[in-house]
Amino acid sequence: MIQLLETQIASNEGIMVQSGKIYLVMTIVSIILIGLFIYVASIDKKITQLEKK
Amino acid sequence: MLRAKWWKVLSFVLLLYTCTYGFLVKVPRLDDRMKESIRNFFFHVPMWFGMMILLFVSLVYAIKYLKSGDLVHDVYSFAFASMGLVFGTLGIITGAVWANYQWGSPWVGDPKQNGAAIALLIYFAYFVLRGSLLDIEKRARLSAVYNIFSFFMLFPTLWILPRLTESLHPGGQGSDGNPGINGKDMSSNMRTVFYPAVIGWTLLGVWITTLKIRVQMIQLKKDGLL
Repeated sequence: MIQLLETQIASNEGIMVQSGKIYLVMTIVSIILIGLFIYVASIDKKITQLEKK
Repeated sequence: MLRAKWWKVLSFVLLLYTCTYGFLVKVPRLDDRMKESIRNFFFHVPMWFGMMILLFVSLVYAIKYLKSGDLVHDVYSFAFASMGLVFGTLGIITGAVWANYQWGSPWVGDPKQNGAAIALLIYFAYFVLRGSLLDIEKRARLSAVYNIFSFFMLFPTLWILPRLTESLHPGGQGSDGNPGINGKDMSSNMRTVFYPAVIGWTLLGVWITTLKIRVQMIQLKKDGLL
């Protein structure tokens, strides 16, 4: 039963867990990068509002 | 220029490319000492390139200030130096982490490591100097002069001395040319990520710098100094 489950999990392995799981790292880094840019862009926007005042 | 959008988007695109293709691009295995850690080249090294570019811009504005006496140039010079130092600090920290795994210790006394630390310390004194002067004109003038001195200290500490002795970094004694610019040591695959990474990180640094400049300008206007 456990073995069956394991093979099932193994067959479900998508692109995220193949080989060295480098795709997983890539995704994490990309998320951080996107979050960082959103934050910097929001500060940019706030300063623009301040400048208009 | 400060508020233009295209180069901010370009920075994002280039860094997204760096942070995705940088993990996928085929890297040389050589003797297998570096393994995948060579991908740090897309993150650690652009910190230094970015620092040098930002500090150079800071130098230009320091000279401009001395010529014009315009406080706006001082604001620019200070903001670029600050962000340059953020990159330098990140460079030295990432370098220490990498060295810990690659060379066995976070600090191995490699000539380039020592030189970088000295260069950063010289620049830290720039902030100490600024912080210790209350008169705005005096602060701007003295720190502009010191800024010029500290930029030219990058020549021996980063660009000359580490290349005269044997170094664990690329470009030490016995290697050909300038590893940063002609890059004979880097595979062409890696160069397709490395140069976009340098541009992307630098533009992000410039963006954050412009934010600092704009905040300072609002502050100066509020204080009636502009």
